[in-house]
Amino acid sequence: MSQEEKAMEAIKDALRALRKRHLLEEGAHAPAISALSRPIISQGSEWKEKTEKLETELQQCYKAQSRLSEQLVIEVAESRTSKAILQEKELLINDLQKELTQRREECTQIQEELEEKTKTVDVLIAENQEIRSQLEEMTSRVQKAESENKMLIDRWMLQKMQDAERLNEANDLYEEMLAKLKANGLETLARQQVDGIVRRNEDGTDHFVESTIPSTCGHRIHAHEGGCGSIIFEYNSGTLFTGGQDRAVKMWDTNSGALIKSLYGSLGNILDMAVTHDNKSVIAATSSNNLFVWDVSSGRVRHTLTGHTDKVCAVDVSKFSSRHVVSAAYDRTIKLWDLHKGYCTNTVLFTSNCNAICLSIDGLTVFSGHMDGNLRLWDIQSGKLLSEVAGHSSAVTSVSLSRNGNRILTSGRDNVHNVFDTRTLEICGTLRASGNRLASNWSRSCISPDDDYVAAGSADGTVHVWSLSKGNIVSILKEQTSPILCCSWSGIGKPLASADKNGYVCTWT
Amino acid sequence: MAKEAVKYVWEGAIPLQIHLHKSDVASHPSPPPALVLAPRIGYLPLLIPLIKPYFKDSLPPGEDSIWFDYKGFPLKWYIPTGVLFDLLCAEPERPWNLTIHFRGYPSNILIPCEGEDSVKWNFVNSLKEAQYIINGNCKNVMNMSQSDQEDLWTSVMNGNLDAYTRLSPKLKMGTVEDEFSSLSSPQSGQVVAETDVAGQVKTARIPVRLYVRSINKDFKNLEDVPEIDTWDDISYLNRPVEFLREEGKCFTLRDAIESLLPEFMGDRAQTSGEERSMDDTEEEDGSRETGEIKLVRIQGIEMKLEIPFSWVVNNLMNPEFYLHISVLVKAPQR
Repeated sequence: MSQEEKAMEAIKDALRALRKRHLLEEGAHAPAISALSRPIISQGSEWKEKTEKLETELQQCYKAQSRLSEQLVIEVAESRTSKAILQEKELLINDLQKELTQRREECTQIQEELEEKTKTVDVLIAENQEIRSQLEEMTSRVQKAESENKMLIDRWMLQKMQDAERLNEANDLYEEMLAKLKANGLETLARQQVDGIVRRNEDGTDHFVESTIPSTCGHRIHAHEGGCGSIIFEYNSGTLFTGGQDRAVKMWDTNSGALIKSLYGSLGNILDMAVTHDNKSVIAATSSNNLFVWDVSSGRVRHTLTGHTDKVCAVDVSKFSSRHVVSAAYDRTIKLWDLHKGYCTNTVLFTSNCNAICLSIDGLTVFSGHMDGNLRLWDIQSGKLLSEVAGHSSAVTSVSLSRNGNRILTSGRDNVHNVFDTRTLEICGTLRASGNRLASNWSRSCISPDDDYVAAGSADGTVHVWSLSKGNIVSILKEQTSPILCCSWSGIGKPLASADKNGYVCTWT
Repeated sequence: MAKEAVKYVWEGAIPLQIHLHKSDVASHPSPPPALVLAPRIGYLPLLIPLIKPYFKDSLPPGEDSIWFDYKGFPLKWYIPTGVLFDLLCAEPERPWNLTIHFRGYPSNILIPCEGEDSVKWNFVNSLKEAQYIINGNCKNVMNMSQSDQEDLWTSVMNGNLDAYTRLSPKLKMGTVEDEFSSLSSPQSGQVVAETDVAGQVKTARIPVRLYVRSINKDFKNLEDVPEIDTWDDISYLNRPVEFLREEGKCFTLRDAIESLLPEFMGDRAQTSGEERSMDDTEEEDGSRETGEIKLVRIQGIEMKLEIPFSWVVNNLMNPEFYLHISVLVKAPQR
């Protein structure tokens, strides 16, 4: 064989050997082994798949678990806070419930109270209505009564007027008879005079005392609270009566300055006073439309003279009879009273209010000073105006008669003091001073007993003393600080007393 | 025909019966042996995933360090399974009984194996060596992309010849041109080497691994070959064969072996296509002194030594372009 053929042969042999090997080795054993290993492999692969699946699931589960645990932590924290809040809320609820029950109780109580109150209110309303109706009734009744009253008063006034007229007539008759009697008396007197015995009426007799010019203050008495509006000396003595705003009349001894007696019983302020010439009675004109007459020795009110319808601002008593009292009031009347009978005997009406009044010496004529500045003279018995003189440009505050009855001193609000002759009604003298201003409508001035000096108080608390004969100021007395309301000169020549608005009374000697 | 041979080579598999060593048996009763089919071109560690499921329930607790032995003889894992079989089983034992150990790795004899990766790197290393021998440099292997390397290795692991034949041209390994392979249809797609076209007288170097097992005793039948007990009896030659292309003369296997083992080829031994080994009655003197080649096995077959070496190389080489030759010799008695 050629080499090539040998080579080919060798190659074929090799291939044959490979095939044989194949048959012996893998060809024979492969099927069996694969059959045996299939379940295991498949199992193995199954297991592998399962494990892989489980692993992925486990990973997911872990992730989920971590997420859940995070959430759980959050939830636990939240639940704790919620529990705490819940507890708080429960406590709060308990408290609130307690409060609520309390409030309910309170509420029921209040409701009950309210019911009661409403009931009472209803009752009260009913009562109120009843009372109102009663009130209406009453008011209507009152109105009726008032109207009746007015009517009655008018009728009464009319009656009174008629009575007064009748009384006046009666008095006239009576007086006529008295006058006749007097005329008879005068006739006898005249017969006596003719007989050569000169007698003077006791009542007109004056002790001619030389008055001293007062210069020094003797006593300063706090007489009344609220002001002393009126002072008057007893006849021929040093006893001073003072009347004031405290509705009391007091009796002072000017030598010692001590209080002797007090007279009570007045219902109003004392505006003016008069003393009977026997010093037994004191008459006071009060603001309570009444005049009171005291018995000095007993101190009791003997008469209450009613009839004025307004305050009585001036009073004077007859100098010899002590029976006739004349009073002037702000109802524009002057009334004449009879103390023995105890009632008004005559009433005189005029247009302007009278501030001061004075009876003449013979007791038949009334001098009155008015708000219009006129001085008027009235006849007592007839009540007719005798004459009138214009004395002042403004209101007349004081009218005072001299001791001998010839001169009359008027003081006016124009700060002028005029001295009139009573018979002729001519001005004898005029006195004025700067700094002398009259304090009120009822400032009283006075003439000294020897008819030479005039004393008047002023608003600044000073008392000016003029000399009539000379016509100039002789003394200015300064002691009091408040306006002087009234001056009075004692009948024995001294002291001079002055009263002021504060109730102080000073005595000057 | 050539394709057929390569197909047989790739499909070659040895039936193994794996016994669990009794020291590793932790269950009662001891597990039955596992039967696996091991590819000839594969390696023993690659079989572990197939074997382990059989024995995993019986293993004692602890970490595994797996190694095989044949009749007490630890097997080196970087030698292809087919080569081991050819070398150690003189009389082919089918199935081949091996023992698997999971503990007690003999580190003084075997180098450590870290599983599939060690085997893969060993394969790539051998590939580089082969290319260096053939081409003079291993740049083609180095330049091969990672994925291509992986695919190549996977095709080898799975015995996928088609994938391998697709990828191997990228290595641009030169092959020995042989006219005998070209008698069949050239479907294997072997690229003509980069041998000089002009000159036919080109010297090619063939990478060859030669395993020589020397047996002290003389034997007539293969069945009588004593068992091997030490690796010292196996000498390992890693020497390329100078392939001389001569006009008119065919370079045979005999010539190759002569070049590798000149001392044993003094007395030429004729082999037949049968498995029967050489009849030592033909030997006379000289064999006792020089040693006698009893057996030459490549890929589990014996062949006539007149076979052209080029055919052998092209058809019977391993995937890493190495030709593994197992030789049984009678050691010189001295």
